[in-house]
This record gives sequence, C-alpha cells and structure tokens, in this order.
Amino acid sequence: MKMSLYIIRRLILLVPIIIGVMTITFVLVSALPINDRLIAAYGAPSPRASWIYDPVLSPGTGPCPGPPNTHTCPNPIYNRDVAALGLNQPIPVQWGIYLYRSFTFQWGAVSNYSSAGLLIPSIHGLPVTTVLSWYLPYTIELAVLSLVIILLISIPLGNLAAVNRNRPVDQGARVMSFSGFALPGFLLASLVLVAVVIGVGSNSGYLAHTPWCQSGEPLWNELTGSWPLSSCFGGTGGATSFPSWIHNNGIYTTPTGFPTVDALIAGNYWVALDSVIRMILPALVIAFGTIAILLRFVRNSMLEVMNLDFVRTARSEGIPESTVIKRHAGRNSLNVTITVMGLLFAFFIGGFPIIEDVFGLNGVGLILAYSVQNTVGPVDFALVFGTTLLFTFIVVIANIIVDVLYAYLDPRVRLG
Amino acid sequence: MSTSTPGEGSAGAVTRPARRRNPRIDQWKRTWYFLRRNTLALVGLGILVFFLLVAIYALTQSVPWDHLTTYCATNQGNGGIDQCLPGQLSICTYAQGTTPPHAGCYQTPQAYPSVVPPTLSLSPLAAGPLPLGSLTVLPGGLLFFSIYDGLLRGIDWTLLVSITIVAGGALAGLLLGSVSGYFGGLVDEVIMRLVDIMLSIPQLLLVIMVVSVVSANNVTLFGLDPTSSKVLLLIISFMITWWPFYTRIVRGQVLVVREQKFVEAARASGAKKGRIILRHIVPNSVYPVFIQISLDVGTVPLLIAALVFLGFRLFPTFYFPEWGTVAALSVQQLPAFLTGCQVGVCVLPAWQLFVPGLALFLYAISVNFFADGIRDALDPRLRR
Repeated sequence: MKMSLYIIRRLILLVPIIIGVMTITFVLVSALPINDRLIAAYGAPSPRASWIYDPVLSPGTGPCPGPPNTHTCPNPIYNRDVAALGLNQPIPVQWGIYLYRSFTFQWGAVSNYSSAGLLIPSIHGLPVTTVLSWYLPYTIELAVLSLVIILLISIPLGNLAAVNRNRPVDQGARVMSFSGFALPGFLLASLVLVAVVIGVGSNSGYLAHTPWCQSGEPLWNELTGSWPLSSCFGGTGGATSFPSWIHNNGIYTTPTGFPTVDALIAGNYWVALDSVIRMILPALVIAFGTIAILLRFVRNSMLEVMNLDFVRTARSEGIPESTVIKRHAGRNSLNVTITVMGLLFAFFIGGFPIIEDVFGLNGVGLILAYSVQNTVGPVDFALVFGTTLLFTFIVVIANIIVDVLYAYLDPRVRLG
Repeated sequence: MSTSTPGEGSAGAVTRPARRRNPRIDQWKRTWYFLRRNTLALVGLGILVFFLLVAIYALTQSVPWDHLTTYCATNQGNGGIDQCLPGQLSICTYAQGTTPPHAGCYQTPQAYPSVVPPTLSLSPLAAGPLPLGSLTVLPGGLLFFSIYDGLLRGIDWTLLVSITIVAGGALAGLLLGSVSGYFGGLVDEVIMRLVDIMLSIPQLLLVIMVVSVVSANNVTLFGLDPTSSKVLLLIISFMITWWPFYTRIVRGQVLVVREQKFVEAARASGAKKGRIILRHIVPNSVYPVFIQISLDVGTVPLLIAALVFLGFRLFPTFYFPEWGTVAALSVQQLPAFLTGCQVGVCVLPAWQLFVPGLALFLYAISVNFFADGIRDALDPRLRR
C-alpha cells in the first residue's frame, strides 16, 4: 500500500474515535443539572438578568407583564435556549444536536462566574473555541519542545543502560524511572523553581539581570509566566496575559499565535530567545515523567534486539561495537520506542495543566487550571469540557502521527 | 498420610485420603521466596508496613475524622489581627523586628505575617500549639493547619481511598476484560472500542470531568451523612475512570489463556461458559492485574493531589486529612514564599513546603518498589 493511501485510511478511522469521545462528553454533560447545561452553552447571565435561566417568570421580571397582572408566565428566552439545545427532545436527538454543535465548533461560552476571569478580565461570555485558539499555539510549542527533549534524553540513556546492563548507569536509570512514576508533577516543578530561585537568586539579590532585563526585575516574576515583564526590553515587553505580546496601538495582534514565531516575524530576536528560554524549565519538568517510563521500554527493547542474530553477525564481521549499537541495534529498537511514545502520549499531555499552572504559562492547561477551581466560584463546565476535547484531539492526532511514523520505519505495517 | 478429624455428632472418626496440596499455596511460597531476595522490594514493603502501623495508630486517636486540626493566628505584634472563631485553637505570631507579645509566640517574616516558620518541636505543647510546622491556606484569613496532624491521619484516607478505587476498577476491568476476551466478536469490538476511546482521554482530564459533573449534582447515597456520601461518590467517580486499562490488560491475557489445553478440556467435559470464565480463565489471567493494582495504588493519591493543586476542592470539607490534599495545599503556598524573595524577605520553610509532598513521594515509590518486586517474583521471564 502506498504511504498516502495508508495515511488517508488512518484519517478516516479518526472520525469514529472523535464521535466516541464526544459521546462520552455528551453522557457527562447530560448528567449536569439543566441550568448548568444552559450556562455551559450560553455563558452565565449577568447578575441583573439571572431570570433568563428560570423556566417560569414571576410577574414583573423580564418580559413577564407586571402588576396588575399577577399571573406568572413561561420564560420565552429560557424556552428558546432549551429548544436550541434540544433539551426538550429525546436523548438520541439531543446527542445528534450535541455532535452537530461540537463538529461546528459551538463548544459553548465562558461562564460569567468562571475563575478564568482572574486570567483575562474580559473573558466572560466569549466562545470557548476563541479562548482555546488563543492558548493552543503556546501549548503546541511547549509540547514540541518537550518531545524533542524526551527523545534526546531517553533514547541515548536507554541505549546506555542496555549496554551497561546491571552496572551503575543501569541502576541509576532504574531509580530515575521509579521516581518518575512516584514524584508528583507539581512537587518536581516547585522544587526546580526553588532550586533556581535560591541558586541563581542569592547571587543577584533575587533580581534578574538578563541582557533584556537590566532593570533588575524580581527574579521569581521573570522566571515564571510566558512573557517578560513590562519594564523589560526597554519598556516594550509584557502583555501579561494575552495570546501574543506583540503590541500594536493598544491592540494585541498575533500573526500566527506561536510566541516564538511571532517574535521572529516581528524581527525581535531577543524576544524569541526569551520565550524559548522560558519554556526550557517547564519542558524539562514535563519531560521527566515520560522519560522515566520510556527509558525502561527503550532499555528492554534494546536488550532484546542486541540478542538477535543479525547483531551477532555484525559483531562477527568485525564492525566496531559503537557502530553495531548505533546502526544495527539502535535503529531496530526505535520501533518500540515510537509505539510506546504513542501509548504514553495521553499521560504526557495530562501533565500540562499542572506544569503550566506552576510556571504560569499561557497554555491550554492554564485555562483548565483556572476553570476547574471551585473554591471561589462554580466550575466552568464549558471550558473544562472544551479543554478536555482539545487535549483528547491532540492525543488522537499524535497517535495517528505515531502510526504513520511507525509505518514509515517498518514497511511491513504498510504492506500488511 | 491420612488425617483423622474428630467427628462432631458423627459416630466415630472418619478416615479420609490425604488432600492434594493446593498448588496456589506453592505459588505464593515461591513468590515470597523470590521477593525476599529483592532488597528494593523489601524496603518498599517495610515502608508500607510502617505506614500501615501509623494508620492503625491514627485510628486509635479520637479526633474528628473529616477535619484537619486548624489553628488561627492571633497576630498581636502586627496590628492586632484576630480572626479566631469561637472554639478555634489560636497561635500567637508577631512580625519580624517587633517585640513578641509574650513567650511562646512565633516570629513571622515582615512582608508575610501569616507565614509561620517551621518548628522542629515534636510535642504539640513544647513551643505553643503548633506541631511540626504549619502554614496558611486561605488568602485574607489567617488560618493554619497542622501538617503533623494531616500526615498522621491522612494515611488512613490515602490507603482506604486508593485501595478501594483501584480494587473497584480492577474488578470491573477483570469482568469486562474476561467477557470481551472470551466471547470475542461484537461484544469484544464494542468493549474494546470504548476502552480505546476512554484511554485516549488523558486520565487527569477524565477524572476532572467525571468528578466535577458528579459533584454538581447533590446526591446522597444510601442515606449516608453528607460527608461520607460525598466521599463515596468521589470513590465511585474515580472508579469510572479506572476500569479501561484493566480491561485491556485482562483481555490480552485471556486471549492467551483461552487457547490453552485445560480450557479446551473443560469445554470438552461440558463446563458452562460462566464456570469456564470464573474457574479457569480468570484465576489464570489475574497476575498482571495484581501487578497493575500494586502500581496504581501509588498513583491515586498523586492524581488527587494534582486535582487539589489545580484548585478543585475534591473532598467535602476544605481541610480533609488526605495525603494528596495535604501535599497540594502545602505546595500551593510556594508562590507566596517566593514572592517574598523579591522584597528581600527570602524565607523558604522547606519543612512546610515539601515534607507532605515527600511523604506522598515515599508512599508512591515504595508501592512501586514493591510492585516491581512482585512482578519479578511472579514472572519467571523477568527474573534476573
């Protein structure tokens, strides 16, 4: 089978999976009280107009005629919204409407009570997809960077552990892989931050002295967040919460939404460097858990391959050991690595909310971290479900990419 | 060898042929033999046993089961803030540079009067009512909870919640996985597609969705009191997210076991399907499940901690003594401390910030060590 045909077949198989994921979220949404469903779809009313989610109005509220008419009346706006969502119809119809709305990107609106308002004050009532589209590029950049780190560390280290089986290197890798399972992400992230603040900070009086921040900003503020503080870059830095920090007559414009790419387009090379530097620590922390798991698989698959006949043949032909490990064994153990990475991708993406929360990075995970808070206000279901759908799509698409890569590396898959 | 059992009500001693020794007992003995040789696994087991003893000790203390012991700060040296509710234990604090109001007060950094530095006094009564460090939780209010208290009583909840969740998920997975693997066909297809879909949603996000939806509905289960009912609901909603992985493992194992001779023999001798599954297939495909259970028991508190850290109040009361919660609430204070560094007051009470997290880490890693030992002992191919 040709490669393009294989990719098309995989993409067609994507549709039922997406429908399945949407069905699961539909089941969960259906379990919500009806008011929460309306709020998730249309955003919460402002306190003044809270009557629009009452099925029956008392006289004098909203469009209901007031005294002397003392009759209550059905709420036309409530009925309109309920009808639009199909909430008065049988479950299969509701499911169909939900799927239609999901596929047409009507994922609901940000609730007025949402804690995400702490992040962007004007976020209330905006469509969820708009908000997510602001934050998605950052997450993608972060994910790509951490994937590069994962592959750069786990493959050589795994090979090293396999070659030095049961020696100190192997034992060290073992211990690391255990701690990767057991160390909570937020604890690791906080430890790293503390180490940097104490290690670097105590020399500089806890102030940042970078080429672009000579003003001596607090180091802690300079280490966290996606963008430099407003006093940096000679006073041109710092759109603290918005998708891209390129500032144009009071309007934030984003050519692509990717912070590094935007800065490069604007010709601001220091800013591009700054945004990459800011991603390195979080990317390392995100990578740690996945590396820990991947390492064991790389090591075991390498051990398996090194016992195969063709490796022995290569050795007997007098090829140097390093070449045997790199060319013969290493390349053949790559298949397993890629497959396992595909399986681990959901786990990998699941680490983003925590790390983005700790480091204050403007990614999708940060939005999730703000919208799940139920200590100040209620949970913002529209954002929670929207974020989950988005993350799941990322996982599913990543799995397809992994499959295609696998087919590229191992032609037997395509032919079979 | 024959054994004689003393007859109760029967006329005399009945002589029976010796019973064949149960092969499963041999299996456990062999497992223990190999486990004994694995130092890391023994270390893990030792830590777990210690935690279990602590849990038993904590059960004997008569304290409220759903609240951490909280303290409020009477900040006499710093403007006289006093927000104690009636009946709440109070601790006396004073700002750095001012004179202490009386003996036994805690000095706090200037910019953050609500932060109490760690104390190593093991007795709650030694230097005031503040055992083993404490911290503020509510912004605006000066409220402290005792970490010692949280760790002592949290282990009960950690063990209970994680074992229940994982056991429930494993049971469901065992059932669905064996049905799916044994019957195959349409049943298999439906169950496994559902598993695939569930597994493509990151677990943290799935848990968040399920738990937030469940807690949006005010349901009381079985007429329990609201707190227990909510804890039970929490456990159930975690179970919902936990079965797919087990189903996949069990199905894979069942597909192997199903083709073996003894299953064929059972089928040939006319055993019913339910009997074949329960008596022949499930017992023979259960070992990977044990391994996964022992790994997951360490994961549950980590997941709970992640949720609490994100700001989702999981448990019915704010100060619920559970390790994940305690760890998350403690580390959440880090920005407050690190912000202090930018105004020149760089106090990092490592004890308060990281001891609960490290306790959680210790629990999870000892569970992992133990699970690894079990895996090595059970699976002869992996034995080194």
